[in-house]
Amino acid sequence: MTQLAPHIFNGLTLGLLFALIALGFMLIVGVMEVINLAHGSLFALGAYFALTLIGMDPIADTGFGQWWLGLPLAPRYIAALMFAPVLAGGIGMLLELCLRRTYGKAPLYGLLLTFGAGIVIEEIIRLGWGTGEQYLQVPQAINGATFFLGSIYSKYKFFAAGFSVFAILGVWAFLEKTPYGAIIKAGAHDSEMVRALGYDLSKLRLLVFGFGAALAGLAGIVMVPIWGLRPHVGIDVVIPAFLIIALGGVGSFWGAVFASILVGLTVGVTGAYASAWSMMSMYVLLILVLGFRARGLFGRASALEN
Amino acid sequence: MSKIIMNRRQLLTTAAAAAGGVSTFFGPWKHNRVLAAASDKPIKIGFTSDASGQYANSGASDRRGMMMAIAEFNEKGGVLGRKIETTHIDTETTPATGSRVAERMISREEVGFMVGAVSSGVANAISQVAQKYGVIYLNTNSSSPTESGKNCHRVKFVWDGNGSNFAQAAVKNAISAYGKKWMLLTNDYGWGHDTAAATKKLLAKYGGTVEDEFLVPQGTRDFSSALLKIQQASPNVVAAAVGGDDQKAMRQQVAQLGMGEKPAWINNQQDWPDVYGLPIENLFGVFGTTWYYKLDLPGVDDFVKRYQAMYPDTKMRVPGNVFYNGYMATKNLLAAIERAGTTNNIAVIKELEGHKMSAADRMQHHDAYIDPVTHQVQQTIYLATGNTGTSDKDDMFKILSNSSPDEVKDEGAPGACALESYDATPTFDA
Amino acid sequence: MMTLSNISPRSQQLITPQIILLAALLLSAPLWLTAIGLYHYIGLEIVIWLIYAMGFNLLFGYTGLHSFGHGAYLGVGAYAFGLFQQEIAVSLWGGLIAAVAIAGLAGIIVGLFLSHRRGLYFALLSIAFGQIFWFSAIKMRWLTGGEDGLLNIPRPELNLIFTKVDLNDNVAFYYFAAVILLVLVILLWRLVHSPFGRILQAVRQNEMRASFAGYEVWRFKLAAFTISAMFAGMAGGLLAMAQQSAYPDVMAVHQSGLVVMMVLIGGGLISFWGPVLGVILYFVARDVLGGITETWLLWYGLMFVVMVMFRPEGIAGVLQQLKPKSAKDASIRRQVA
Repeated sequence: MTQLAPHIFNGLTLGLLFALIALGFMLIVGVMEVINLAHGSLFALGAYFALTLIGMDPIADTGFGQWWLGLPLAPRYIAALMFAPVLAGGIGMLLELCLRRTYGKAPLYGLLLTFGAGIVIEEIIRLGWGTGEQYLQVPQAINGATFFLGSIYSKYKFFAAGFSVFAILGVWAFLEKTPYGAIIKAGAHDSEMVRALGYDLSKLRLLVFGFGAALAGLAGIVMVPIWGLRPHVGIDVVIPAFLIIALGGVGSFWGAVFASILVGLTVGVTGAYASAWSMMSMYVLLILVLGFRARGLFGRASALEN
Repeated sequence: MSKIIMNRRQLLTTAAAAAGGVSTFFGPWKHNRVLAAASDKPIKIGFTSDASGQYANSGASDRRGMMMAIAEFNEKGGVLGRKIETTHIDTETTPATGSRVAERMISREEVGFMVGAVSSGVANAISQVAQKYGVIYLNTNSSSPTESGKNCHRVKFVWDGNGSNFAQAAVKNAISAYGKKWMLLTNDYGWGHDTAAATKKLLAKYGGTVEDEFLVPQGTRDFSSALLKIQQASPNVVAAAVGGDDQKAMRQQVAQLGMGEKPAWINNQQDWPDVYGLPIENLFGVFGTTWYYKLDLPGVDDFVKRYQAMYPDTKMRVPGNVFYNGYMATKNLLAAIERAGTTNNIAVIKELEGHKMSAADRMQHHDAYIDPVTHQVQQTIYLATGNTGTSDKDDMFKILSNSSPDEVKDEGAPGACALESYDATPTFDA
Repeated sequence: MMTLSNISPRSQQLITPQIILLAALLLSAPLWLTAIGLYHYIGLEIVIWLIYAMGFNLLFGYTGLHSFGHGAYLGVGAYAFGLFQQEIAVSLWGGLIAAVAIAGLAGIIVGLFLSHRRGLYFALLSIAFGQIFWFSAIKMRWLTGGEDGLLNIPRPELNLIFTKVDLNDNVAFYYFAAVILLVLVILLWRLVHSPFGRILQAVRQNEMRASFAGYEVWRFKLAAFTISAMFAGMAGGLLAMAQQSAYPDVMAVHQSGLVVMMVLIGGGLISFWGPVLGVILYFVARDVLGGITETWLLWYGLMFVVMVMFRPEGIAGVLQQLKPKSAKDASIRRQVA
């Protein structure tokens, strides 16, 4: 079936993109056991910050604005890719400060608080950037089409998938290979231990949440050229992230990555036969898996089950 | 992930609730709703166009058209000596919201008429409520054939050309020019499906074949799998019925991938707000429209000037078909009230039914009329393509041909449409 | 923290003062709704959502199962009602029974998957199932009309033996819906104070302990899920009549989240009456704030966030605290005794 190959390839790409989306969500749920329903809004917020960093609309008429807009797109884009997630991370930290009120209560409260926060952020986006569809420009080098094995692919999708691999490995290396990662992981499993070692647990949580929010923002910048940018784009995003974590199992890094690729492939291959139903296939996949394995493919016990 | 169009936003831009707190509303029964028979009270028109969602842009354009027509009448002193007031609530490109907005417009804002629609789903929902109360509703810009077919209503008048009209203008010629192997790209909601059905019927009639149909959910931004399928099937023609922001994204990606020339693209109808400001390479293929600001007809230049005088700050520097439909519909409604000499809904409906509009008044090539059987305006249909031969950024279309209303008549509509009787329609004076 | 069982049960009473107050408010509403600047359709919406939210709180507040996909059953009820009218017969009771039955059936099927789950995985799975219903409603155009919805659903007339009532009038239909709501509220009140209701609360407080006490916990979770789905189905049937159409929107996860917000803001976690306060506040806020500012949802969202942080017991909790201290003590004493 030569016809199927491009769809498998498409699915693989999609899977990597899903993994990028789920990364920040996974970090927060895995380490802090908080289901961050504002993930989608932070995703959108990151992309809107990038839009403003690239276009500098509020100060376009000032000397700096003119100089900035005189630069080629590529450096402005790279700057946005670096700084917009930082801004999103800052908002995430604010959110964590609010979340502190819910620690020690049932996980429901974290879920509800972030659901409300998501709505607030989305409304702020509407106020600040308007309700219409916007376009995030990308440099020419990663735009346009290319032929690969006789089929057409968009270059941008290659870029996004490659970027996703880079981000996954980066986060993994940070968690596994650095002392910070070790502390974060210790915090996830044994907060007493962290305290005993003399680390400030509340600072740790602030940083983790900020980092997770920054990753959400980063995913937003990379994804919106494919999915479009509108205030409620986040809602389309938080659902696959959710499903992937449930499928992979809470707390399992590679489980989530594996689940992402599985979901991507399922959607891609279903797309070859019944395009209209391709998005549905991921839900069916989830139900099949959770019907047999309550904690997903690689999940471990979690306080969230109670 | 395709989409959800959130159903939650309700803007009240001009909520100058006339009647205030202690108004009384008597319900939908006959003859007991006398809102403003006293002749000095303003006539209230509710704008039901989308301000968010897929058709936010078009909705705004639609509204500008209505406002200009109303401003012109108000300058002359209103209609029947009464000023015209307006109110707008966002219908969010969401049918359920359309339903709720219509209920609120009629029972709380006490509007006498409602104008505006881009999405056929929303238009449908509004017209159902409007019919229940007998409130005249102008569907300005939704071009699903069912709007004047199985979902027609006595109180509803449809002002845009529909998918079947446009398909008739395009399909036969395109088969002989480009070939018989067609593929359909269809927006997965009413307008898309109805338009695709009209295209399929004509293909069968003229010997074309449908290789494949690809459904595009509303809110799609990534067309790569659709384009992959097109590339694999390599049809002669792709007939797209994709609207709004979806269509913008589609055009951009097709142009990026260099697929705009081959296969040939037929886009059923091209709304002006969806392409205005796009690079001209994105405007590949042949598409339909009901009006263009550079038609070489008397009155057009003046119309464009009036637009620019009234909207000096609008990003869209020239009016397009959506604005035109909003304007024409509202103007003809007000004129009908004037001719009827009353705001009684049944009298105004009778004034509109069968009404003939001269080509000069419509600024089109052929005379038009409101079909009394389907309540759809039968009008000139133009085919156009991207205008590559000019440096004028606004002059994006090159008009290829025009067809008279009779050449492109939607033959299926009269059989599918059963208007409610006058007696079954509640009556009142707005 | 307060919980539902801190509230005096008054289980012996069929009709409590609160029920009488609600009945008085509901039945007199058409007389004063327009005078306070509202309109009858919004009253109808409130009644319908009350049925939905009160049934939902049996699951959410009483059983402690946090479903974020409950809009699915509202939608299923609406489609079932519409399809019954269009395919089988134009019948008020036939349609409403179909709405409740089909939504209940959907609830049982999903409940079988969910009843062995709790916490995060319950929430996740409830969302996944909700999405499946939503997605199917959009894709099955031949059945549901897709994104455009199922249109032209009639409002069948109400056949009382001595007379027939035309429900096309919003006021008449409002009264019909309000009476259904009152009947369901009384039923629900009995249910939560029955032994069954107490077991549900035991499941919420400690599922493990409830199972050690010999209850097959999953059966009770399944029952709660199904009953609340049936309430949603009834609300859906009435919604289809109100809109004279059925649309997929209510099934989307965001809409399912809204009912959670309403129930929580009202105080559903600690009071039977929480959902009532929450639903009324939401609709009045949408209409009144929405008329003043485009950003009303921002303020509503902020209020919700602040409430979760500082007053997760919701409005009902605030009202409880405003009560004279002695009354509160008395109620606690009564409960202890």
